[in-house]
Amino acid sequence: MQTDADRQETRRHLKAAVAARKADDVVRYARELLCSNKAADAMFCASAFNAIAKELVEQGYRRLKTYIVRSVTMEPILPSLTVEALLSGYVMDISLGGYGSYINEMLNGESDLTRASADLVFVVLELEDIAGKLPDLCADGLGEGVEAEIETAVTRVGQMLRGYRNGNSGRLVMQGFVIPATSSLGLVGDANLEWSLANAVKHLNRRLAEACGAISDCVFFDVDQVAAHYGRAQWSDTRMLLASRLPISPGAFKVYAQGLIRSASVLFRAPRKVLCTDLDNTLWGGILGEDGPQGIVTGSSFPGNCFLEYQRYLKQLAARGVLLAVTSKNNETDVEEAFQIRSADLGIHLSDFVARKIGWGEKTQALRELAQELNLGLDSFVFVDDNPIECEAIRQQLPEVAVLVAPTEEPWKLRGTLAEQPFFDTITVTADDLNRSQEYKAQAQREALSTKTATRDEFLNSLDIVCTFVSALEAPLSRSVQLLAKTNQFNLTTRRYSSAEVERFASGSGSLAVAVRVRDRFGDAGVVGLALATQSGDQCLVDSLLLSCRVIGRGIETALLANVADWAARSGAKWIVGEYIETKKNAPSATFYADHGFERELSSVEGGSIFYRLNITEHLPLTPSWLTLEGKDTHEFATSTILTS
Amino acid sequence: MSSQQVPSSLRDIIADTLEISSTEVTPDLSGDSVETWDSFRHLQLILALEEEYGVQFDPQQIPDLTTVAKIQAALEQKGANLG
Repeated sequence: MQTDADRQETRRHLKAAVAARKADDVVRYARELLCSNKAADAMFCASAFNAIAKELVEQGYRRLKTYIVRSVTMEPILPSLTVEALLSGYVMDISLGGYGSYINEMLNGESDLTRASADLVFVVLELEDIAGKLPDLCADGLGEGVEAEIETAVTRVGQMLRGYRNGNSGRLVMQGFVIPATSSLGLVGDANLEWSLANAVKHLNRRLAEACGAISDCVFFDVDQVAAHYGRAQWSDTRMLLASRLPISPGAFKVYAQGLIRSASVLFRAPRKVLCTDLDNTLWGGILGEDGPQGIVTGSSFPGNCFLEYQRYLKQLAARGVLLAVTSKNNETDVEEAFQIRSADLGIHLSDFVARKIGWGEKTQALRELAQELNLGLDSFVFVDDNPIECEAIRQQLPEVAVLVAPTEEPWKLRGTLAEQPFFDTITVTADDLNRSQEYKAQAQREALSTKTATRDEFLNSLDIVCTFVSALEAPLSRSVQLLAKTNQFNLTTRRYSSAEVERFASGSGSLAVAVRVRDRFGDAGVVGLALATQSGDQCLVDSLLLSCRVIGRGIETALLANVADWAARSGAKWIVGEYIETKKNAPSATFYADHGFERELSSVEGGSIFYRLNITEHLPLTPSWLTLEGKDTHEFATSTILTS
Repeated sequence: MSSQQVPSSLRDIIADTLEISSTEVTPDLSGDSVETWDSFRHLQLILALEEEYGVQFDPQQIPDLTTVAKIQAALEQKGANLG
């Protein structure tokens, strides 16, 4: 508990850090001060963050130009929003729309909103703005006209969001509505009558979420869930709502801001991909090496069921594509034995983990090896362990890894603590996500085969790889955008395009957006690569080219380039211009163009871009012989060369 | 008038909200004398004061709390402990 003297002390440090322009210190002291949960401290920190916004951006915080379209009072909430955004890695530069002008702002191409060219747009409206008749229509609970009112509202919101989307690329967060804490029907009527206001608002929220799903780069923010978690009765201060149109009571500013930022984050950040769990006192209770397989705590009765809850949660994560891994200080044979002997008491099997590091080495090393084995960056990892020393070692040595300390003394809290984290938040689950665990297991089989075959070509030939080229829109589009957002290592320019931007590449006549799906004798890796290119005159510029790290090194990157080259040649280009932008992570793609015979342009460094060019009338990139091609444009080229030659 | 006449906790909250130095917070400071003291900052200030001192103002009284002295008097009338 901070005393007022502590707070004053922290504030003095914070002020000094701002004056010294030390972003790290500002964030550290702000975190400390914010523990007070006081509005004045949030305001103090928000002004500090605003004062050193430039330094924060230099430190890697992402600047988000944010515009709030609203019909309610948001001003007092802005400091909390600024603070929570910063704690999630964003420097938010916020503009507010007028109270009554939201329709004009969204639909008029010349409004303040469209002129703001925002990165992010929050749409915060009240029930009375979009479905004002609902409370009266729901008064008898019978529902005459309720559905019609809801459908009209959903159509109107859909038009508004599409109107904005048409010509703007800012990502959208549409806020839903809080179910009123009370209505004239009372507790029993609200629950039992089909069209009580409570039921109608639930239905409206669901329909709005569907409408948001149909719009690219748009996420629905279920404010009702946040309000219910906080307590609907405390959510709003009726006095302030009626006197100042302030919809949320000050005590809830923080959780509201957190919910809003968490929803927006999925539009800017890729989810983590791997959960790496410890075994002893984390996946099960007790220590296997001391207690033996019969002694470890797991199963349907307390306290074993605390661990069973966690195991089941992990399995649910795996079901939507999160990869599970194990690091444990144990003997491997003991662990295998425990999983076998106690299988009836465990909610998870050893085979549910795609990789494991069981032994006596350092966990930092184990995580590094897992990252290499799974071909993923450490920033894709979540590490769960009960040992605070191990956790601290990971935090210090591998700061990219998200660390969660398992509460040994209160094992019932582990599942909930994990569930609160935004690590795995995602707006879409694609078929590729569902297939991922399977694909990693296939990878292990491939590696086994590669040790049996003599040469690389022989090995690649024996895989029977088939590449299918499809339009980025049919990948489907959500997968194309996901690839752009998530691919780090083999990614030549690392441009994180939105759906709308990819659509523009795919639909323009002078541009190309092609995706590649890959399968082999062991499995279907799904859509794993993407290229975006534009053509002007005799030049084809490769804007983006990327490939999931799971399939690097099998010639698929060459096939992708060959596909782009075919298209370029058919469109009459003489040159392919490749662009490379170095990042901390994309070293594996640094020599891609040079390896394919491109020449580096001498004066080609322009804002971090290096350009390479290749004359395709002299040297057309060809698909490696071990790949079989299918799909878009792969046969047309053969025909067109015959016609022109 | 001097900022020393304003209790320090009150001075800090007002300074934070209006983004000014706490030495500028004198009893006669008002919405007319500080540019940042607009109607939204006013609302923000009231919310912060209510939270800090555990009081609630009548919404009809809020627009009249236009100077630091009036705010201090209203808080004292509500029995707030200004330290």
